[in-house]
Amino acid sequence: MKNIVIGRYIPGNSFLYSLDPRTKILALLILMIGVFVIDHIMHMVYAIAIIFLVLLLGKISIKRIYLGLRPLLFLLIFTFTFQIIFNRHGELLFEETLYYSPVSIALAAAIGIFWFFTKRFIKFRLLYFLMTLLAIGTVLSLTLFPGTFATGRFAVYEEGLFMALFIMLRLIIIVTLSTMLTMTTKPTDLNLGLEQILAPLKILRINAEEIAMIISISLRYIPTLLDEANKIMLAQASRGVDFEEGKMKEKVVQIVSLLVPMFIISFKRSDDLANAMEARSFAPGRPRTRLHVLTWKRLDSCVLALSFLLLVTAILSRVLL
Amino acid sequence: MAIKFERVSFQYTSMDNKGYLALADINLSINKTGEFITLIGETGSGKSTLAQHMNALLQPTEGRVHIFGITVDDKTKKQRKIKLNPIRKQVGLVFQFPEYQLFEETVEKDIMFGPKNFGVSTEEAAKRAEKMIEVVGLDASYLKRSPFNLSGGEKKRVSIAGILAMEPEILILDEPTSGLDPIGRNALLDVFYNIHTELDKTVIIITHDMNTVYEYAKRVMVMREGVLVYDGDPVALFSKSNIDRWNLDVPDILGLTRDLEAKFDYKFTEPPRSRKALFKALEGMLK
Repeated sequence: MKNIVIGRYIPGNSFLYSLDPRTKILALLILMIGVFVIDHIMHMVYAIAIIFLVLLLGKISIKRIYLGLRPLLFLLIFTFTFQIIFNRHGELLFEETLYYSPVSIALAAAIGIFWFFTKRFIKFRLLYFLMTLLAIGTVLSLTLFPGTFATGRFAVYEEGLFMALFIMLRLIIIVTLSTMLTMTTKPTDLNLGLEQILAPLKILRINAEEIAMIISISLRYIPTLLDEANKIMLAQASRGVDFEEGKMKEKVVQIVSLLVPMFIISFKRSDDLANAMEARSFAPGRPRTRLHVLTWKRLDSCVLALSFLLLVTAILSRVLL
Repeated sequence: MAIKFERVSFQYTSMDNKGYLALADINLSINKTGEFITLIGETGSGKSTLAQHMNALLQPTEGRVHIFGITVDDKTKKQRKIKLNPIRKQVGLVFQFPEYQLFEETVEKDIMFGPKNFGVSTEEAAKRAEKMIEVVGLDASYLKRSPFNLSGGEKKRVSIAGILAMEPEILILDEPTSGLDPIGRNALLDVFYNIHTELDKTVIIITHDMNTVYEYAKRVMVMREGVLVYDGDPVALFSKSNIDRWNLDVPDILGLTRDLEAKFDYKFTEPPRSRKALFKALEGMLK
């Protein structure tokens, strides 16, 4: 649980770190809109090239970004295959007839099961998964086996392939951009920036300060709660709760034995926190001064202008090309 | 030998991958019966971590722990060959904060939870709950109450009863008397001492109270920054002149006897370790 990369601040120094959080949030919004405006795969490739350039300038290691993308790998693969199989527009690139017979299906299933049980011993899991898929496809395309009861068609079309790549690139860009924001901005700064950006919502009677306070308190208590959960699990384990093994019925009791103390401790904690805040005269909605005041620098204006320029370029490229 | 530590080290992994060494090269052994051990040391010295190794809640990152014939090392959990759960029936560990374990609707159910996890029948568990609630100094009327409406001290007693009901061979208590009033504290300490003398079980108590150490313990272990700096007789420990380097304090009784000896120029043949013993010794002195 301690290796979550998404949303984690990693200390460093580069221009990305010295930017005002407001700039970073606004730039992220602008660039995201830009990414959604782009509708051609070549433009998407340019966009990702620009992102790479920013990563280089911002001294952020690609490996970190990859680690951030890893939890999304399944989603990426899923959308990719979905597009390839079901999008049937444009030129036909590849076609293969599949023969379903009892033997070939059994063999394909056997390969799948073999993959399932051996995957934990293989280092390059993604590669191994793709190889398994390829093997299953090959088995199904063979005509050797008797008793074919149905045939299917596996075809890849130009549009499908492009669309698949396009959506994948878009997802990668969006995740990379947001990872860049959270990685280079402390949660407190992020919160302060968000609060000031949302401040105009006061006209709609939405108190941005309160929302920001709620967000910052929840963020603050995530590690505490994880720590607490760990302690509860140890305490229950010493009473014979085996959190790793156990049947379904036991699992329910295990979870209850974890959740009930968790809830009670959280309520108690929030009560204490409310009292502590009140003891220091905290009153929501009152004007307050800040320890850290955000300062807008020339670099911020430059970055914001550049982001705007990129958005305009994206719009122009869509309209004109 | 019920519990044996062989060169045990334990490192907590932290966010920035710089480990924090909570235990460093610990060697010790604890008998199944006849021991009354106190574990002392300042906060953060690794007492609780050490205790959690004694029932395999934590596994050493280096070295081995032998618990009732089962060897636990850094690979034990990965290999999944050895079930660690039965160890926790034999070595009962009561945590410092009862809030971390109370969850059932009634006190009775909560006390029955541990034994039932280890395969004790419901009737037998209920019987034990009835017995144990008395042992920890509450009466049977508490059994039907909700554990969340109890005072801090009562919660503590219920959580101790929950472990006692498992009938462990060895009982470990992490600061069992913190947050209790003096009378309740002494009563509970007597309970542990009775468990030790009557059932001849080994009891290990983590404490900050030097009086407990001096009055009850046959053996004391001192932790300091993850290192076991002392393991032996309490009298010998407190007769050392420089115990304040481990942030320890002299027990009240010992301070008093030392003052008496200095004032009346008298030497007790055997330094008294409790108030009762002191009075007896004073009688001897006055004669």
